[in-house]
Amino acid sequence: MTQPTEQTSTERFMTSRQMAWFRFRRNPSAIIGATIVISVIMLAIFAPIIAPSPQSAGSFVDFAHRHHPPTAEFLFGTDNVGRDIFSRVIFGYRVSLSLVVGVLGFAVPFGVTLGLLAGYFGGRTEFIIMRFTDVMLAIPPLAMALAITAVLSPSLVNAMIAITMLWWTWHTRLIFRIVKGQMSEDYVEAAKVAGASHAHIIFRELLPNCVSAISVKISLDAGFVILFGAALSFLGLGVHPPTPDLGTMVSTGSEYLPEFWWEALMPGLAILYAILGFNLLGDGLRDMMDVEV
Amino acid sequence: MTDRILDISGLNLSFTTYGQRTQVLHDVSLNVGKGERVALIGQSGSGKTVTMRAIIGTLPIPPAKIESGIIQFEGQDLLRMAKVKRNRLKGTGISIIMQDPLLSFNPVLTIGRQMDDIVRYADVRLGKKQSSKLRKTTILETLQKVRLPEGEQVFDSYPMMLSGGMRQRVLIAMALLNRPRLLIADEPGTALDVTTQKEILKLLNQLVEEENLSLLLITHNLGVVREISDRVYVMENGHIVETAVRKEIFETPKHDYTKKLMASVLPLYGKRVKNFENSRQNDPKIEINNVTKEFSRKVGFFSRDYHVVRAVDNVNLQIENGDIFGIAGESGSGKTTLAKMLLALYPSTSGQIKVDGTPLDGFSDSRKFRKLIQIVYQNPGSSLNPKRTVTQALTVPLKFCGYSTSDIKTRISELLEMVDLPKSYASMYPHELSGGQKQRVAIARALSVSPKILVLDEPTSALDVLIQNTVIELLLRLREELDLTYVFISHDLSLMRNFCNRVAIMFRGQICEQGLTQKVFTDPQHVYTRALLSSIPVISEQEEQQKPKVTDVERQAVLTSSTTLE
Repeated sequence: MTQPTEQTSTERFMTSRQMAWFRFRRNPSAIIGATIVISVIMLAIFAPIIAPSPQSAGSFVDFAHRHHPPTAEFLFGTDNVGRDIFSRVIFGYRVSLSLVVGVLGFAVPFGVTLGLLAGYFGGRTEFIIMRFTDVMLAIPPLAMALAITAVLSPSLVNAMIAITMLWWTWHTRLIFRIVKGQMSEDYVEAAKVAGASHAHIIFRELLPNCVSAISVKISLDAGFVILFGAALSFLGLGVHPPTPDLGTMVSTGSEYLPEFWWEALMPGLAILYAILGFNLLGDGLRDMMDVEV
Repeated sequence: MTDRILDISGLNLSFTTYGQRTQVLHDVSLNVGKGERVALIGQSGSGKTVTMRAIIGTLPIPPAKIESGIIQFEGQDLLRMAKVKRNRLKGTGISIIMQDPLLSFNPVLTIGRQMDDIVRYADVRLGKKQSSKLRKTTILETLQKVRLPEGEQVFDSYPMMLSGGMRQRVLIAMALLNRPRLLIADEPGTALDVTTQKEILKLLNQLVEEENLSLLLITHNLGVVREISDRVYVMENGHIVETAVRKEIFETPKHDYTKKLMASVLPLYGKRVKNFENSRQNDPKIEINNVTKEFSRKVGFFSRDYHVVRAVDNVNLQIENGDIFGIAGESGSGKTTLAKMLLALYPSTSGQIKVDGTPLDGFSDSRKFRKLIQIVYQNPGSSLNPKRTVTQALTVPLKFCGYSTSDIKTRISELLEMVDLPKSYASMYPHELSGGQKQRVAIARALSVSPKILVLDEPTSALDVLIQNTVIELLLRLREELDLTYVFISHDLSLMRNFCNRVAIMFRGQICEQGLTQKVFTDPQHVYTRALLSSIPVISEQEEQQKPKVTDVERQAVLTSSTTLE
């Protein structure tokens, strides 16, 4: 009998990476999302160069131009002490993004590791980790954040700590669910038979299968972290003035509503813009990688 | 054949995915006469299912596109028919029996509710109105037709309460509810055990006769075709390459592809059977003494009682050096549990297992044990991590058995050569390989640390027949070259007949019969072995004659019923 020809899929179809890129490209919301996110990151990085009035970011006062409506000179208008709101928004993105990096940089590795351990070992480990996660989830987030920042005095770092303490739970749950599903796949058992260590199976075999879900979750999270940070600042529990923070700006601006509407509206729109970008990107990634978060 | 119920002529169909157009059906012409049973056969990917979906109109358009051709049903052109009119034919004109009885039900709705929906929506399409009482009568009558006497109970059951065979019967009943003229069966019974499959095929044959149906059967199993068709179409890569009445196809196939398909079916009896003998010296590699495995689960959260299932019951086996030892049995017979105990993945509840003369206790965690016994799984799609390359997969056992980095590299190219894969495959991910190639990688991984014993857990059942044979040849060659001993676990008895030198048949956790393959197959002692052998679909009349005979009473004594609730 002749040897039948076995075709590899690459000969006829695209590789999965090409396919994913194809799907991403055809998804308008993903492209828009990515563009917005990149623009926000660029603005934050090059803030001192881009901002028309960099001194507005500090304790700068210009009473000649206070409550100035939006014009070509002051794109978003000026606030109650005459600072350029557009410049402050750009610097505000710096604060927001550092919040995102700080929170997710800790919450994601921590949450993911706990999820992996709970899913892989099961039994008592699973019980302890997952019930602890449930307890943390049961605490109302804002009340928890209020408690922490009230005790530790309001600052950017303390806001970060507060949000982080709440955020890892979602990653634990997500990863736990994925790992539980993967445990019934034969490759896990095959690795055990091959003599692989627990660490190898957890971080080399299981973790790569969680990566796409984690990246989608991160990009969706980024938007929510910005929003949560802004909410804390709005309540006066976040960044200290005069550091430009979007939430604080909305809060201060709202005192002059409706007459000087731009002072609250413009920072508000800036928050909307960034969150929209991260959410569209997250949705796009989700379609592209075919995962449920 | 003037009276045609279905007539397809010159059907060309293509798919456009990610900007690339692939033609999947090339000038397909096929017809089914009234009351005729027609089979469409071919390997997976040959276009059988696409043809079927074109007939019932469930192809996604786009990406699919019908380029040209006509599909006529009772003289009406289905492709140019108004959508409403075509929808009316669903279930009433053409009906389909789904392939997988385990996945085709909604688990949270009762059987009755799911069947009632079918009648109700057909009524809506036809603009009829029936009382729910009348609908129930129809459903119970149809359940009678598929030989489910306890219709009332089945009606109120949830899918999980029924056995696989019963669910398959209910699926057939669902297809019959609206009295179709043409029945399409997609791989009927292939997801079930052979003994149940046989009953389902018998039922289909009876129904075609009683209900005056026409049948279009889509399958890759030639044995099934022989039992249930009058005429056969052979499909290869979207072309119909041969068509003839059943007798001609099986006795004098003309096209090369048909011949190849026929040759790839392993014989159960007759001259073509290969007898495999073990010529090596007797030296027990595996000794299993009175081994029992029980799984227990707490009945309830507050309860102290345990629900105990005895998966393996007092098993004694001795596997010699060089044996290809077959362990056969239907699903749930305990064969996989036994295999996992050999690999020390489960501890045994009682009894002792010795591998290469050493008892497993204490020995099973050592490197020496991992270098002695390894396993190849049934489905390489699951046993290879989709996110890791071939090299990474092969590195794992080597690394954990103490190979150095440079040794690992040379060993990997050696291994790829051993399983006939080009070296360039080392950097590929599993999804870039075909099923057969993936299984070769899985075999290479199992062999990487040079084990002496290999447990093969249905290593070929996820593969096409033609590919299956090349994998078997590879395994035979490797056994010679590397002095291996195989423990072969399967439900495929034809394969076992040609591949193993000794077999053991497992039945409800116990070994009911064991011995030399030739002896067990030609002179089976246990009723269950005979029932099992008699149910295997074969492709020639001579083999059919040589199968052991079992009376219905005997069958019922050993088989799980597919008609009554337990």
